[in-house]
Amino acid sequence: MTTAEFGTHNWGMVVDVDKCIGCNACVIACQAENNIPINTQDRVERARSISWIRVERYWEGDFPDAKARFIPIMCQHCANAPCEPVCPVYATYHNAEGLNVQVYNRCVGTRYCANGCPYIVRFFNYWEPVWPESLRNHLNPDVTVRSRGIMEKCSFCVHRIRRESRSARSAGTEIADGAIQTACSSACPTSALNFGNFNDPNSKVSKMKEDKRHFTLLDQFGTDPNVIYLAKIDADKKVGAGEAATHG
Amino acid sequence: MASQAVAHDSEHHAPPPNVDADVVSRELVATTQSASGRFKAWVWGLGILSVAGIVALVLKFIDQGDDSTRWGYVAAMVSFLLSVAGGAPMVAMAPVMAKANWVRPITRIASLFSFAGVATLIMLIPLVAILPPLVTEGARRRTVWYMAPDYSPHFWTTLSLVLLIGTGIMLFYSAALPDFASMRDHSTGWRQRLGKRLARGWVGTDVQWRTLRMRIGMFGTFYFLILVFVNFLISTDFGQSMVPGWRDAIFPMYHTVSGFQAGVAAVVIALYFSRKYMKLEKYIHLDAFWSLGRLLFALTLLWIYFFYSSFIVFWYGRSMNDIATLDLLIKGPMIYAFFAGMILLWFVPWWILIWNKVRRGTAAMVVGSFIILIGLLIDRIRTFVPAWSVPGDQIHEKWLKVIPETVWPDIFDILIMAGGISLVAFIVMMMTRVIPVLSVWQVQEFNLLAKPIRYMKGHATLVAKPD
Amino acid sequence: MQQRRELDQVYTNRKLLNGQLDTPKWWLPTVSILGVVVLIGVIVIATMINKGLGLTGLARPVYWGLFITTFVFWVGISHAGIMISAILRLTQAEWRRPVTRAAELLTVFSLLTALVFPLIHAGRPWRIAYWIMPYDVARGIYPNIRSPLIMDPVAISTYLTGSTLFLYIALIPDLGNLRDRTTGWKNAMYTVLALGWRGNPRQWKMQTVGGILLSALMLPIFVSVHSIVSWDFAIASAVEGWHSTIFAPYFVIGAVHSGVSAVVTMMALMRWLWKWDDFIRPEHFDALARLLIVVATGWLAFTFLELTFALYGQDAPEIALREMQMFQWPWNALFIVFFLTGYAIPVPMWCFKRVRTNIALMFWTSILVNVGMWLERFLIIVPGLARRTPFVYTWEAYTPSPVEWTIFIWSFAWVTFLMLLFSKFFPLVPLFEQKESQVFTDDVMIGRAKVPAIVREAD
Repeated sequence: MTTAEFGTHNWGMVVDVDKCIGCNACVIACQAENNIPINTQDRVERARSISWIRVERYWEGDFPDAKARFIPIMCQHCANAPCEPVCPVYATYHNAEGLNVQVYNRCVGTRYCANGCPYIVRFFNYWEPVWPESLRNHLNPDVTVRSRGIMEKCSFCVHRIRRESRSARSAGTEIADGAIQTACSSACPTSALNFGNFNDPNSKVSKMKEDKRHFTLLDQFGTDPNVIYLAKIDADKKVGAGEAATHG
Repeated sequence: MASQAVAHDSEHHAPPPNVDADVVSRELVATTQSASGRFKAWVWGLGILSVAGIVALVLKFIDQGDDSTRWGYVAAMVSFLLSVAGGAPMVAMAPVMAKANWVRPITRIASLFSFAGVATLIMLIPLVAILPPLVTEGARRRTVWYMAPDYSPHFWTTLSLVLLIGTGIMLFYSAALPDFASMRDHSTGWRQRLGKRLARGWVGTDVQWRTLRMRIGMFGTFYFLILVFVNFLISTDFGQSMVPGWRDAIFPMYHTVSGFQAGVAAVVIALYFSRKYMKLEKYIHLDAFWSLGRLLFALTLLWIYFFYSSFIVFWYGRSMNDIATLDLLIKGPMIYAFFAGMILLWFVPWWILIWNKVRRGTAAMVVGSFIILIGLLIDRIRTFVPAWSVPGDQIHEKWLKVIPETVWPDIFDILIMAGGISLVAFIVMMMTRVIPVLSVWQVQEFNLLAKPIRYMKGHATLVAKPD
Repeated sequence: MQQRRELDQVYTNRKLLNGQLDTPKWWLPTVSILGVVVLIGVIVIATMINKGLGLTGLARPVYWGLFITTFVFWVGISHAGIMISAILRLTQAEWRRPVTRAAELLTVFSLLTALVFPLIHAGRPWRIAYWIMPYDVARGIYPNIRSPLIMDPVAISTYLTGSTLFLYIALIPDLGNLRDRTTGWKNAMYTVLALGWRGNPRQWKMQTVGGILLSALMLPIFVSVHSIVSWDFAIASAVEGWHSTIFAPYFVIGAVHSGVSAVVTMMALMRWLWKWDDFIRPEHFDALARLLIVVATGWLAFTFLELTFALYGQDAPEIALREMQMFQWPWNALFIVFFLTGYAIPVPMWCFKRVRTNIALMFWTSILVNVGMWLERFLIIVPGLARRTPFVYTWEAYTPSPVEWTIFIWSFAWVTFLMLLFSKFFPLVPLFEQKESQVFTDDVMIGRAKVPAIVREAD
């Protein structure tokens, strides 16, 4: 039961950590889709790089039995987000569709939200963004280019959600499950990233969420994220990637 | 707060009469000897209640000694009695150090409360026996005793409480030496013999006075430090660490400050009754009440500030710990106690004490003090009862998963609470038979130092400030 | 104890107005040098606003650094004024008198300086009107009053307004005095500012009542300002080192510690620069140092509680953070310096009367305290953010850039500059308070001893 009316969805993502192979395709897709400036060597070294989604790698066990684990981390779109109440200008707030949205126009750049975020998925624009001349025409016209001095973060490709719901509304139809895909989920070769509507009990993500492997990141903060992870299945051990992530 | 304000324009308020030193001693010493029938009846009544309370404590231990969740009210009582009996002597100390003159008639009556610390100790004994061990099910619960041996909370709390009572009594005694000498010189019977023995050859030489002042300063400082420490231990070991996930750094300070508040309130009540029924209007002036009123007002504000500081951080923090803590202590089983405490500890005293006219009447002050004491008792119940009601199987959780139900007091608890409070009143009342309720030498000293003068067109006091 | 010294009013006037009626030799060169530093600072700030915050050393996850530390530091210093003036006035501490004006001034100027930091540290400072004022109301969007960052400007601007009024009310009698001793444009200026002060009983009464009322009203603001600043940090449950319920009183008492120390520094400078040995006397330093011992020890108790309950939870991230803060380079070195300068060196020294009455030693120890208190804020803010979170992605540290250091130095030059500029036009020691204290003290004979005494008015 999905209608195109605003406010009837609860967008979310289910990340099957077991399927993630750490290929970073999602990172690149996001970078291209959302007009994120190029993370040059200098920016990475100074810890000023921006990547709305990242794949974290952990080593589990001691050498030589070490195993690499991957976990993609993006804005968790928490229902109880620590970043929201602290913003003095309502530049970040929760909309009726379960998205934690960032309004670039309002942002004055206090960076308070970034301090409050335990997942560290909020990024600050220290400089005016620049692209090489050759890439200037590659920018996505649907996505705002963020000027310096403001925060940005994963938007769950809100422009795609808007585009799809607009056309569904004008056609008088409902948004089909799976019709909206974020850049990262459509790029994922193993379908580790799944985007959909949690309000629809029959959607793919709602069913996946019921899996007993599900967990959320850093649940001690009570953030109630809209990104649900499914733990790694390990034939040898009972420890999932999730525990590795939450316990560092 | 260290105001030396002495007003003369008000009609209630005569300038301190320059009473002859000899008369002062005689009159004050005489107060110990004459006990009215009403006084005796009260003492008997309170004594019976105290005994009943102690018997109930023993019976409760026999009956429910194995179930720590039933002992919240006794823990609240320990904390409450510590606040009253431990906080009151501070009233005597703090302003003395700030060289305030209004405190002179108060010091003795405040330091008498040190003896009432015995009541705290009696209540603490079964709790120490019941306090859950640090290590259960092979895991250590969260306490301030990270690596310390298992007996630490039990042993150190008891020891420090004993130390507190000892220091309080020493503080009382070192300031009482000259008065024991007065009793030796002006009293008869066992009081004279007691005075003779305890005065330890006091004749008032320069050296003796210097030693006396040094001792008061020393024991006063020690008393303050130990009191803060005991508050810290009781509030963490017997409160906070019983609840998984309750991590409130300000709670010991909150406990201490509300302890001072209770102490001041108790002193106001004791002062009011001794002034009224021992006919001491000549010595206990209204400015003592006014200054205590200001102090109480400041402490009331400090209480709400400390409370709010912790509340707002939990409220905004919204982590699982924070939510569970608020659910347990404020929203959950004790919500009515929370509101009652709020109203009685802060809201009502605030409106009573902010109003100069009301604050200047002794009756309003004593009503306000009673309200504060009741409020504090409820507030202690609000924090300690839910803390103890957490069953042992949850203690190793990261935060409280199941909020326990409200624990209502049973007949033992009611008897114990009545008995504990009676015991404090009983001890203080009995002590007024042993030693003058006002410090004779401090009253005399003020007569020396203050001189009413005419200043321009009004009256004023010239107060000498020796080093 | 207050040693009584007879100073006649002519001498008091001449001596305390020496800054206004004639210019000391050092004044112009000092102000010029400071002016140059201030100018450089302004240029650097302008450049930073023009180019962007990339010029700072900030990097993920340390989004707040030197600027916010210095902001908290100056807000802390601003607590000197009300502590000295309002609290000591309400408690009738006699020794406050020569110090009040300087303390209030410090409040006003340090607040003005503190305000600059959050504003220039915002990503788009040209949009701060949007943050502080609800100008966007046409679109139905108010500022988010849930945010401590909204309560901050509210509290600070209230405090600034209140302390400016407080300063001004206490200045009026002295302005009247100056009006009667100047000519030309200065006379015109003082005439306007003195608001027709004649010194009649009614005016004195109103001036006194105004002062006492403002003192009482300012006290809650005084407490709220630093509490709210502390809640900027304390409410962030995801930053282990910040989420502590003790922060509000801890910050306030720390602010009093650093503010009163700053007043001591200022008093020593005033005594040396304007040669006010008769007015700012060793017993004033003595009294302030005693106050500082109590405040500092209280502050230490709060520090102890903060640390105890940080470790109390026995959570791995919290313990890791504290280990980093105290035992890992470079934080460990800073931590040692912080502890030594904030408490371990000055307070034991103040326990000796010889130190308390030695102006040079008091000057240096009070500076030490402020070094320590600045480091305290730095050690709370930066390691708190630079903690090693469960995500290895963000294990980075933070080094302030030269731009940040320049602006940091600018803030000190700016406060001193304002202070010296003020001293050219207004007396730094309140003349009327000084004279009042002369009238209110006397000697009495008790037995054979001559004891100083104080006149107390009717309550």
